[in-house]
Parts: sequence; C-alpha cells; structure tokens
Amino acid sequence: MFAALPAQSAPRKPANDAVVIEKLPFRAGDRRARELEVLRANARNAPGNAAAAVALAQAYFDMAQARSDPRFIGYADAVLSPFDQQLSADLLVIRGMLRQYRHDFDDALGDFASALKQDPERADAHAWRGAIYLVEAQYANARLECAALLRLQRPVLHGGCAGLAQAYTGHLNAGYATLQQALALARYDDQRLWLQTRLGEVSAWLGNNARAERHYREALALGRDDGYLLAAWADFLLDTKRPAEVVKLLAAWEMSDPLLLRLAEAETALQLPTAKAHVQALDDRFTAAKLRGDTTHRGEEARFQLRLRKNAVLAVQLATANYQIQKEPRDLRVLLEAALAARDPDAAKPAREWLQATGFEDLPMRALSAQTLQLPPLVNKQWGAP
Amino acid sequence: MMRQFVLVLVLILFHAAACAHKASDSYLVVDVKDNAVKAQWDIAVRDIDFALGLDRDGNGEITWGELRARQTDISAWALSRLVVTRNGSCPLEMTSLQVDEHTDGGYAVLHLSGVCPGATGALGLQYRLLFDLDSLHRGLLRLTLDGTTHTTVISPTSGTLQFGVTQTSRWAQFKQYLVEGIWHIWIGFDHILFLLSLLLPAVLVLEMRRWRGVASFGLACREVLWVVTSFTAAHSITLSLAALGLVSLPSRLVESAIALSVVLAAANNLRPVVEHRRWLVAFGFGLIHGFGFASVLAELGLPTDALALSLVGFNAGVEVGQLAIVAGFLPVAFLLRNTRFYLRGVFVLGSWLTMLVALIWLVERAFDLKLLSV
Repeated sequence: MFAALPAQSAPRKPANDAVVIEKLPFRAGDRRARELEVLRANARNAPGNAAAAVALAQAYFDMAQARSDPRFIGYADAVLSPFDQQLSADLLVIRGMLRQYRHDFDDALGDFASALKQDPERADAHAWRGAIYLVEAQYANARLECAALLRLQRPVLHGGCAGLAQAYTGHLNAGYATLQQALALARYDDQRLWLQTRLGEVSAWLGNNARAERHYREALALGRDDGYLLAAWADFLLDTKRPAEVVKLLAAWEMSDPLLLRLAEAETALQLPTAKAHVQALDDRFTAAKLRGDTTHRGEEARFQLRLRKNAVLAVQLATANYQIQKEPRDLRVLLEAALAARDPDAAKPAREWLQATGFEDLPMRALSAQTLQLPPLVNKQWGAP
Repeated sequence: MMRQFVLVLVLILFHAAACAHKASDSYLVVDVKDNAVKAQWDIAVRDIDFALGLDRDGNGEITWGELRARQTDISAWALSRLVVTRNGSCPLEMTSLQVDEHTDGGYAVLHLSGVCPGATGALGLQYRLLFDLDSLHRGLLRLTLDGTTHTTVISPTSGTLQFGVTQTSRWAQFKQYLVEGIWHIWIGFDHILFLLSLLLPAVLVLEMRRWRGVASFGLACREVLWVVTSFTAAHSITLSLAALGLVSLPSRLVESAIALSVVLAAANNLRPVVEHRRWLVAFGFGLIHGFGFASVLAELGLPTDALALSLVGFNAGVEVGQLAIVAGFLPVAFLLRNTRFYLRGVFVLGSWLTMLVALIWLVERAFDLKLLSV
C-alpha cells in the first residue's frame, strides 16, 4: 500500500523563466551526445537492422555504466524490443547484459548460452557467465567459464575470473597471486584499476591492511572515477575506523546511492550535522525504488537499515532476500551482521553454511559467524522486535 | 575488445554502483468522482527531454522558460499516451503546468481534468507513456474511484487496467485487517496471558479467604462479560488514538508496562487486592495494551483513504480473537472449577507461572535484555 506521491511533494510555479529545473546528463554539443545522436539516427533510419540496434544499445549500456544511471538500461531495452525472434549472437549478448543488470540472472544465462551456441568463440559471453556464477556462488560453473577464457587466449580476463574464484573459495593467497599475474599483463588503465581494486579487497580479507591501502591508492592514482573503487576504498576506511577520510573522499558523490550510504555512515560515526539529511535522502530513495517494485538494491538497503536506522529485524529480512540472489562476501557480511544484531541465529545459517562450504578465509567474517552460533535460538520472533 | 570485456566484469561484480540513480517513473494521481476526472501527473523533466528535446540553447540545463515554451507539445505528447474511459472515453486536457522535485531530480507537474460520458460503472485506464523509448519506465498510479483508492505500478505489459466499483475492495480491505487483528491477538502471548489472568478467577468466588467455584454459569458469564468488555473498550480507545497519530508512547515503555500488567494481574490472583472490580483493572491496563496493538498496526501500515474502516476491522479482529479464547476457556473452566486440579493446579500454579514469565519479560523489556528464549 503506498501513496503515489511522496509526502514532501509540493508542486509550484518557479518565480521566473531562468530558474533551472533539471540538469541533463550532457549538453547537446558534447562528444558523447553527438555520438549517441548519430547512433540513434542510424537505428531510426534502418528499423529492423540488428547491427544498428546493437550499436545503439551498447552505447546506452556504456552510458548506464559510466553515469551509474539505469535510465539508459531502459532505453537500451526499448531499442531491442522490436527484435523478438531469431536473435543474432550480438543481440543475445547485449540482451543478456541488460537482463543481468536487472538481476534477472537465469534469463541472462540463457541468452549467453544461446549466443555461445551460435558462436562458441564469444569470450564476452563466457566472461559474463563467469561473473554471474561468481555472484551466485556457483564456483564450479564459474571455473569452467574462466577456463574457457584461457582457451580463448584472454589471459587478463581469465586472471580476473580465476583469481576471484580462488579468493572466494578459501584460497586468498592463490587468488591474490593470480590477480597479480593478470595485473602484470594488463594493458589498459581500466583493467589495472579493476585489478588493483580487487587486489585491495583480497589483501584486506587477508588482514594485510598496509598492502590493501597500497593497492587502493594505486587504483586511485589512475585518476578515473569509478563507483566500485570508491565504495571498496570507503568500506576499507570505515572498517579501519577512518571515517573522516571517507567524508572528504565522498563529499561530491551524493548522487550515487551506494556512495551516499558510505558517506552517511562516516558522518554518523563522526556525529556530523550533515548525517541526518543524508540518512533521510537515502530513506527517500529506497522508498522511491520500492514504489516501482525495484528490488535490486536490497543488500545496500539492509546495510542502511542495520547501521543507520538500527532496525535489525528489517535488515535481516532484506539481507536474507538479497542473499537469495547475490552471494558475494559483502552480501554475506551484511547478513551475518544483521542476524547478530537481531539475535537471530537461524537467519545467519545460510551464511555459516557458505563459509563452511567455501572455506572463505576472512577472519572477521569467520568471527561474526561464530558469534551467531552463541545466540540463543529465537522461537518467537514477535518478541524480538520492540 | 579486451578493455570492454573487463569493464563487463567490473560492472557485474559491483552492481550496487550501477543503481545510483533511479530508473524512470512517473507519478499519476487520478481522482474520479461520478463523471468528473481530476489528475496530477508528475513526469521527470529528463524523460520529457529524452522524448521531445527541451534544451533549446543546448547548455545541458532545462529552465522553467524552456519547459513552459513547450507546454502545448508536452501536453499533447503525454495525453496521447493516457486513455481514461467510463462508459466511453473521457477526454482530458491540461489545466496548468507546475514543477516539483522527486528523489531523482526535477519533474513537470501536469494538472489534468476531464469529463466522462458515464458517472457509474467500471473505469478503464490505459497508460503508455515512454514505453516505446524506455522499457524500464513505470507509471505509479494512485486512482481514487468514487472514494476508494487503488494503487498499482504500470509496466509495458500491463495493458488496459479495469477498476471495478467499490464494494468488493472495501470489504476485502476490511477483511484483511480483521484477519490481521485475529492473528495478532493469537500470537501476542502477553495479551493472552493478561486476559487469562483476569479470567481465571471468573469461575471462582472468594469466601473466607478461600476460593470456591461460583454457583452458576450465568454468574461466571457476567464476570467474563464485564472484564472482556472493559478490556476491549479500553484498548480500542488507545489503539485508535495511537493509530491516528494523536498519542504516541515509546515502545519500550509500552512493552514494559504490558509485562507489568500481566505480573500484577497474576499477583492479584495469588493475593487478592482487587476482587470485585476486576473490570476496572481490565480497563486500566487495557489502555496500555491498546498501544501495543497499535505498534503492530503501525508495522502493517494503514491506508489513508480507508483509515477508519481498516481500524475498525483490526479492532474487530482483535475482538473475535479474544472471544474465541474466551469461548474455549470458559466452559472448561466452569466444569473444572471445583476440582483440585483447577483450584491448585490451574489457578494457583498457573498464576505463579504467569507471574514468573511476565516478570522475566518485564526485566527483558525494561532493560533491553534477552533472558528467555521462548
């Protein structure tokens, strides 16, 4: 049951014509805008031409990624929607990419499988499948995809894929070495940035904070905006009790929900007056997403409820729902922390089983898991919540 | 090529960074009363720009002047993608244009009005805004049809929506809250124990400091009736006050007071202080229990349009749940009232146990501890 309009809604007439009511992602004269306009015109002038549609959809997909803006995913999807039957491998791969973006992993895997049936040499389809399997904690399947990337002579891709598979399954040191090898072969800055970031994470899991910091700083020194890097680095700083640096790092990133979450956590830790407005803004954004039935950010929302709203019971529900879909270390961690705060050992069971099965070596996470076993069983959850 | 492939991995392995902004939504609030349609439609300025192109000077910013200059185009575009019918099409027109902010930026606010051919019957609504350009776009609709509110999320596959006339959905809403009410008294052990503590002595009388069974079923019934009615009246009052937001107490205080009420009610059975006016105890503590029910109701959320109805439904549900407990308890207690089993076992031992459990709750709730893992 929801109200279609938020409570603070207050329509108004601006005082004069010069009032700016929206800033667009780019100016009409920008290079990206002109490129997109050309691709749009191509697609418009040749309806039914798969190549033109794929090029435009790919450009939208890249925009979605660069700007962290899901509207472009919707645009890309609409470009593909006239193509229903007899999809080419290109169309299948791009459709799979759009589907995984919306966490529709099963259908995405189906698209990549169909693409590979048409063209077994498609490394991108293998890379995507490997990535999805890693998120879903299907490590045997992921390793098959990593092996396919090696066979197709994509050593950097293979190193990223295999290194993560090792790290997630109890071989942090081996995973670290594999990622390092990939880094040595990497030829582009965005590859280096990604690998340095993951090396930072793996080092932090190994408890080697000095080395983790070095990797993060090398990634930052590449001078590219990257949401994943900023979030991972901010998490590292929060975990090592350096919230003041997070505030400085993320001051200009309020637009991004995951980064705003980290900023608000840091501000709360420092008891800054800005914390309150940021927590409220996050609340509004999660509410807005819920209104449209969007469930792709439940992991973040669980962390928000746990750490900033102190609503452990809701956090457990969200983290549990998130864990059904995504099973990476951060998903596990929020589930364990929420279960512990809610004193609900049963909720932590899947996470304990994951740790048991994978042998994942992060010591703080193992300690969290052990703590959930110390909790008395909750028979009636009604009384757990105030 | 390789560059792209690793980017691919980056993206999926950290999807969270990719859901920074929100996908596109419009907010459509429609009020239909008889044949008159009034509506407010909030459409993101970015979406209008994507469909129609608003940035006349190409500086990447949309001003009020640029939006206003395209008012006619915007209205024609939006209205060609929204069809409302009641015994035929209800032609809509834009009466004014405003702006507003939502979490993802600036919105144009279109105020619409129109007249339908019919004043009764089902309402049809077809929404197609942006679906040709953005398949993740959603229309968040709140429709009030002759006083009854419907909410729904409209997607490209929704087609034409039909909204029936009211009776059924009101009844469904009432029923939903009725069931919730019943359910929450049955799983709220503290409420049940409080009620039982007051009901246990209803089949007994105190004579010469000793408990005996009452003479007739009628006497027992009268006592139960008084107790249950006062409890009900009291918690209905506070439940309503709290649900309407007129009074609010901290939940820890309420929960602790509820535990205390159970302790006192059970203690009163073992060492009677209040004997003839148990209904007063039921009323006094019933006020506190009402706040407890209200917190459950707050979690469920009350529909603003059918507030009273849902509140009555929930209250009635709590009542039905209580009556079921009484109906199960009273005949059995009456039959056993003169047995040692009832007098010593159920009444004395039961009251002791109740008091003990409630004391533990009291400590847990007052000091926010976890002692009892039940």
